[in-house]
Amino acid sequence: MNHTSFSAPGSYRHEQKLALLLCIFAIVLAVAAPRFFAPPNLAALARSMGVFLIISVGMLNVILTAGIDISAGAILAVVSVILVRFANHGMAAPYVLLLALGTGIALGAVNAVLIAELRIPPIVATLGTAGLFRGLLLEWTQGEWEASIPAWLNALGRPRWGRLDISVWAAFLVLLASGWILHRTQLGRSLFRYGDSPLSAHRAGISARAVIYYAYMSIGFLTALGAVFYAAQLGSVQGNAAVGYELTVIAAVVLGGADIFGGRGTLLGTFLGVLLLCSLQQALTLLHVAAFWQNVATGAIVLLGVLFSAASRHAKHIPSQSGAPA
Amino acid sequence: MSFYPPTLVQPSPPERARAASLRFSGNTEPFIVMPLVLLFCIYAGYRNADFWSGLNWQLLLQPLAEAGLVSIGMMFVIATGGIDLSAGSIVGVAAVMMGIGTHHGWPVWAMEFAALATGAACGAFNGILIGWLRLSPILATLGTMILFSGLGLALSSGASFAGFPDGLLWWNDATLLGIPVEFLVFVVVIALAVVLLHATLWGRYVIAIGSNHEAARYSGYPVRLSLFAVYSFQGLLCGGAAVLLTARLASARADMGQGLMLMAIAAVVLGGAPIAGGSASVLGTVTGVSAFYIVQNGLLLLGVPAFVQYALTSALLLVAVGLGNLLRGRGEEER
Repeated sequence: MNHTSFSAPGSYRHEQKLALLLCIFAIVLAVAAPRFFAPPNLAALARSMGVFLIISVGMLNVILTAGIDISAGAILAVVSVILVRFANHGMAAPYVLLLALGTGIALGAVNAVLIAELRIPPIVATLGTAGLFRGLLLEWTQGEWEASIPAWLNALGRPRWGRLDISVWAAFLVLLASGWILHRTQLGRSLFRYGDSPLSAHRAGISARAVIYYAYMSIGFLTALGAVFYAAQLGSVQGNAAVGYELTVIAAVVLGGADIFGGRGTLLGTFLGVLLLCSLQQALTLLHVAAFWQNVATGAIVLLGVLFSAASRHAKHIPSQSGAPA
Repeated sequence: MSFYPPTLVQPSPPERARAASLRFSGNTEPFIVMPLVLLFCIYAGYRNADFWSGLNWQLLLQPLAEAGLVSIGMMFVIATGGIDLSAGSIVGVAAVMMGIGTHHGWPVWAMEFAALATGAACGAFNGILIGWLRLSPILATLGTMILFSGLGLALSSGASFAGFPDGLLWWNDATLLGIPVEFLVFVVVIALAVVLLHATLWGRYVIAIGSNHEAARYSGYPVRLSLFAVYSFQGLLCGGAAVLLTARLASARADMGQGLMLMAIAAVVLGGAPIAGGSASVLGTVTGVSAFYIVQNGLLLLGVPAFVQYALTSALLLVAVGLGNLLRGRGEEER
């Protein structure tokens, strides 16, 4: 099928630059910390990327519609607590998983209702629901930890099939499925169109409701999926889990070249953004950099990435403004 | 024929009247929020007589003042169509600087100056990224949020500082005619904000940039400098909030400003400012931030558990903004 060129991923120019950056980073690492490339370390890197990548794909869907989801961290905490609590009370695994994923989709739908029906700006709506979800969760748990998880959940987080756990394979499947939806279905294409210009999408007969509901329910679902592996890997959960997680996810997606104003962004870029952030953290740990300075480095990398994509965007899209004052 | 320099174009009287009426009709939230909060106050006072006690209001006004400073700064930022996600981190870094000052036995004025200067410097950094390098505010401050909080943690090694001198704790202890000095600082900042917003060219520029960034640029407004000033001012106010917060808690930590950023954004939005910029209301912002703290305090006295308070104040934001959208009608949709 023909795809309109304005919303197609295009030349992947940003992704090429990001890949180049990763290559330079890899060369530096090869000299500074050759242990980084030892198979156990690479497997650990992949395992640290799984959950992050799954949720980042959801965030990409939302950012493509020019939205944002500040409540993702809260949803992650709610779902993981529900999952572990009900599992610990002896609910059968399939029902618990269904309950967890259903909760994620429902919480995403709450966001979508606020944004699509009440027309609250996404940042305000998800800011509000983040507090709402987190507050109710903390009231429910009373700040207590769920310190143990049942054996089947524990097994889910354990490495298998070549040092990798299921989260890595799940992330791979999520990437494939999202790629298909974003590029081969009408709904996926309309995400790009709507993010590019809601008005022109409306004129083209695209339902804004469908786009918004899909975007926020998909991040709800993917966050819930991530929460399952999050709980499985960690082995314990609590109401204050994953505070601020969504901001790192947004950083990764944006680092991957997604336009925060919607309409532009790729799965490949998101993958590279996640890879860069995760491998940076892994490398800094290997180099014995104190955890506090790792945040400084992460912040600097995010800023550089944003600068870098802004520079290429200015050069590409606004040549006419070069003569304007300021 | 009269001549106006480009930056001083005066709207004709009918235009001005229309602009004023538009502003009124556009800003419905304070008029929804205020009666709601008043009703709530009456109910809370009826259920628990302590609600109206002087001590309760003294204790209520202090945290309100800290959040208020950040909210006023955030109001200017949001008016330009921007957002400052790094506000909480800036408060943390500034507080850590004061902690380091105590550690080295600096005099009180030097510590206060250090906090304000740190805040302003962090804000100025945001301003350079957003004004000159033209990064989108949400992304730039997302990066600096991580950067500054990392800096605060690294400088303090994740520890918390204590042992602040009495001279600093004065900010918390002192009252004037029964009103906490902290709150008086907030009142002064409110007055300053009103003057800056309504009586200076900078205030006009801020609104103009938020209404239409491109138009402001082509009109020859000093967009970059104005944005730089907006974010620096926000940083300065965050530094001020750090001084007050440190004085009240008598300790300083890198993560102590964490809740303030979201609170400030919520307060500005609750006050009826569109998140897309182009409008600012000091009255609305003060209403918004007061509503949060008054409701939270009232719920506390009503015996509502702390976490439910948190959830309910978030719900207040959603209800007020959603209700405002409904009342404003569906007309906007047809644009």
